[in-house]
Amino acid sequence: MGAGRSMAREFERGHKAKISDLTAGTDLYVGVSIAGPGLTFDISCFGLDAKEELSDDRYFIFFNQPKSPEESIQLLGAQSGDTESFRVTLDRIPPAVQRLSFTATIDGGGQMSQVGPGYLRIVAGGEEVARYAFTGSEFTTERAVMLADIYLKDVWRFAAVGQGFDGGLAALLRNFGGEVAEEEEPAAPQQAAAPGFAPPAGPAPGFAPPPGGPAPSFGAPPPAPAPAPPAFGTPPPAPAPAPPAFGTPPGGPGLHQAPTMVGPLAPAPGQPAPPPFGQVPPPGPTPGQIPGQSAPPGPPGYAQPPFGQQPPPGYAAQPAFGRQPAGYGQPPVPAQGAGMAAAMQKYRELPTGQRWTQQNPKMVRADLSQAGGQPVLARQGSMVLYQGKVDFGYKGAGFTGRIVGNMTGQEMQLMRCTGGGQVFFAENAAYLHPIELQGDAICVSAENVLAFDESLQHEVRRIEGHGIPGGALFTMQFQGTGTVIVKTHGTPVVLPVTPTTYADSNAIVAWSSAAQVIVSSQVRLRRTAYPGHSGETVNLQFRGAPGNFIVVQPYEV
Amino acid sequence: MDQQMIAGYAPTPVAARMENHGSSMLKVAMSTGQDLFARTGSMVAYEGFVQYEPNPPAVRQMASAWLTGESTPIMKCSGDGLLYLADYGADVVCLNLNNESVSVNGTNLLAFDAHLTWGVERVKGLAKFAGQGLFNVGVSGAGWVAVTSRGTPIVVDCGRGADETYVDPDALVAWSSGLKMKAKRSFKASSLIGRGSGEAFQIAFSGQGFVVVQPSEDSTDRLRARG
Repeated sequence: MGAGRSMAREFERGHKAKISDLTAGTDLYVGVSIAGPGLTFDISCFGLDAKEELSDDRYFIFFNQPKSPEESIQLLGAQSGDTESFRVTLDRIPPAVQRLSFTATIDGGGQMSQVGPGYLRIVAGGEEVARYAFTGSEFTTERAVMLADIYLKDVWRFAAVGQGFDGGLAALLRNFGGEVAEEEEPAAPQQAAAPGFAPPAGPAPGFAPPPGGPAPSFGAPPPAPAPAPPAFGTPPPAPAPAPPAFGTPPGGPGLHQAPTMVGPLAPAPGQPAPPPFGQVPPPGPTPGQIPGQSAPPGPPGYAQPPFGQQPPPGYAAQPAFGRQPAGYGQPPVPAQGAGMAAAMQKYRELPTGQRWTQQNPKMVRADLSQAGGQPVLARQGSMVLYQGKVDFGYKGAGFTGRIVGNMTGQEMQLMRCTGGGQVFFAENAAYLHPIELQGDAICVSAENVLAFDESLQHEVRRIEGHGIPGGALFTMQFQGTGTVIVKTHGTPVVLPVTPTTYADSNAIVAWSSAAQVIVSSQVRLRRTAYPGHSGETVNLQFRGAPGNFIVVQPYEV
Repeated sequence: MDQQMIAGYAPTPVAARMENHGSSMLKVAMSTGQDLFARTGSMVAYEGFVQYEPNPPAVRQMASAWLTGESTPIMKCSGDGLLYLADYGADVVCLNLNNESVSVNGTNLLAFDAHLTWGVERVKGLAKFAGQGLFNVGVSGAGWVAVTSRGTPIVVDCGRGADETYVDPDALVAWSSGLKMKAKRSFKASSLIGRGSGEAFQIAFSGQGFVVVQPSEDSTDRLRARG
C-alpha cells in the first residue's frame, strides 16, 4: 500500500490544492484503491471540457478505452496495491480538456456503503504527494462515486470530491453528456479485483509506479519488482496424452466430427491448392446467396482461373521474354461472366449450419446460435464482421480477463460474444486453425489464441524463464469439449515429442498439455546470433509419452 | 542461367482487360483510347508504350477531399502495352462491372477504367471518428475495377433477415452501392470490438447487397505512405 509516506499530503472531501504545490512534475500517477466484500468496481477517468461535459468521447478513459488519442491519459491497470491506476501527463492534455474526473462505479450488485477503506492518491517522481482517503460509511445506497478531479483553473489543480452518485457507469456517462448505446445495458466489465494471477510485478513500461525511488524525474525505474510468484511454474501432467486434432483440413466436411488425432498438417492452409472456399453454392435461395442481386449469379464453374499461380505448361509455349505477347490492343474480353457477382462468387460466404466454419485459411465464422447458443470468447479486435443480434461484452467474473501477452508486454483482452448471430473472426491475415477438443487438453501460447468456445475450461499459466521477453511465456490451457481457434504466422509444423524435442520460446504455438515443458535457457540452438547478441535464447524442451506433440510456427515474435 | 526455373512465371496470354497474375499482381491490357486510373505508386512493371500522368486535373478536382498533400492518390495511365500493378503483396480482385456500381474503400482501390463514372464519397458520420477519415470511391458503369485485400476476402450478403450487418471499418474493402450505411458507436461495443486502440466503431449496413471484408484490420495505406 505504501501508506504512511511522510511526504503525502492528506486530503479530505472538498479540499483543493494546486498541483504545482504538490509536485513540480507534470507526469502523474493516479492510483485508486477501492474494495468491498463481493463488490467489483470499474474505475474510469472522464476528460471533460470547460462546461464539464464529455464532448469528445475519446477522453472517456475506461477499461475498454485505455488511453486518450495522444496518450496523455492512460489506464495502467492494477498495480502496487492500487485497484486501478492511471498515468496523466498534464502538459500533453489538449486545451479542450479542462477537467479529469476520476470515478468508481460498482459493477453488479451492491452499494457504496459496503465499501471498505479506500483512497485515491497521486504519485509523482516515485513519491506519493497526495492522498484522499474515504470509507463506505460516507456513502449510502449510491452505486458510484466521483472520487477526485484534476482540473484546470489558471493552473492544474487537484480536488478531493468524494461525491456519491446514484446509477452505474452508464448513468454516470450520461451525466457527463456522453452517449450510451441505445439498445444495450452498459457493459458488465469485471475489474478483476483478484484475478487468478495478476502479478504485481508487471513493470510499468518506462514510467515509475509508486514505490519508485526518490528520483524527481518521472522516468526513474522502479526498484526492480520481485518476480511474481511462480504460481504456474510447470504445468501439472495432464490426464491422457491424447492430443487434440490440430490442423484437420480446413473446410473439410468432417471438421467437427473428425476424431481426435495427431494431425500432421498435411493439407495445411496456405499451401497451393487452397481448400474450396471458392465453392460455388448452388443457384437458388441458399443462405449464402444474394437473391436480388442486379446481375445474375454466375453459373457454377465459370471460367475464372484459379486464384493461385498458374504456370504455363512449358517455357517453349510462351512467347520469349521481353517480347510483346500477342493480343495487345485487343478489345477486352471478359474471361469470367460479366458483372460483379461472377467475380465475387468464389469469395462468397459458405453456408451456415456449423458452429465453426472456416471461410478461408485466414477467416473463421462462429455461428453463436449453434451448439446450444453458448458464448464465444475472442481476442479483442478480432471481429471483422457480424450479422444478427450479437452482444459483445467484457468477460465476466472469475476469469482473468486481462492477461499480459508474453512477447510484447501488451495486454491481451478478451471479449465475450453472446447472442444469436454469426461473427467473423480474423486477425492480421494470420492463418487460422480450428482445434476441436473432445475431452482432451492443449496448451496454446496466449499470443496465438484467437477465439474459443466458452464451454472449454481454460486457465492461464505462466512459464518463467530468464531471457524470455517480458519475463514469462503466457499460455492458456484448454480442456473439455469445444473448439479453440489458433492463429499462426505462416504454415506451422507439428512435431512429435521425443526425448530431444526443443522449440524456440518465441516460435512455439501450442503443445498437448500432457507434455512437460522444461525451460532450458543455456542451450544454444539458434542458428546464428546477430552481432551484439549473446547467442543465448530461451528454448523450451518438451518431455512426454509418445503421442504428445508440439506446434511451431515459422515466425519468431 | 537456367531460364526454365523462372519460365513458369511468364505472363499468360491476354484474355481480358484486367487479369490476375498470381494472387497479388494485376495485369492490365492497355490500348489507346482506353485510359486507366491507377493508384499512384502501384505500378511495378510495364511493357510497351504506356504514359503516366501523375496529377491529372480531372482527378484533382474530383478527389480534392481525398487529398492530403500536393499529389493525388490516383494517376492516369494511357497508351498501348501491358501494365502490372500491385500494392505491397495484397491480394488483388478484378471486378467487371456490368452497368453496376460498387463503393470501394480508398485504401483498397487499385485501378479502374477511366471511362467509368466515379466520385469520392465521404461516409456520413464516420469521418468524425476515423482518424484519417474514411473515403470511399464510388465507381459505376460498364468496365473494370481492381481492388486489393489483405488476405483472401470474404463476400457476405446483407439483408438476410431484418438485422443489419456490422463491419469493422479497418477490415472493410468494398460494398454494393445501394446499401444504407451508418456509423455505430456504442460504449459497450465500440472499444471492445475493432482495434484495441479504442478508436473503434462499426459501420452498419442495411439493404440488399453485399459487403466485402478482408481478414485483417490492417488498413494502412502503403502506397500513400511511400508518397
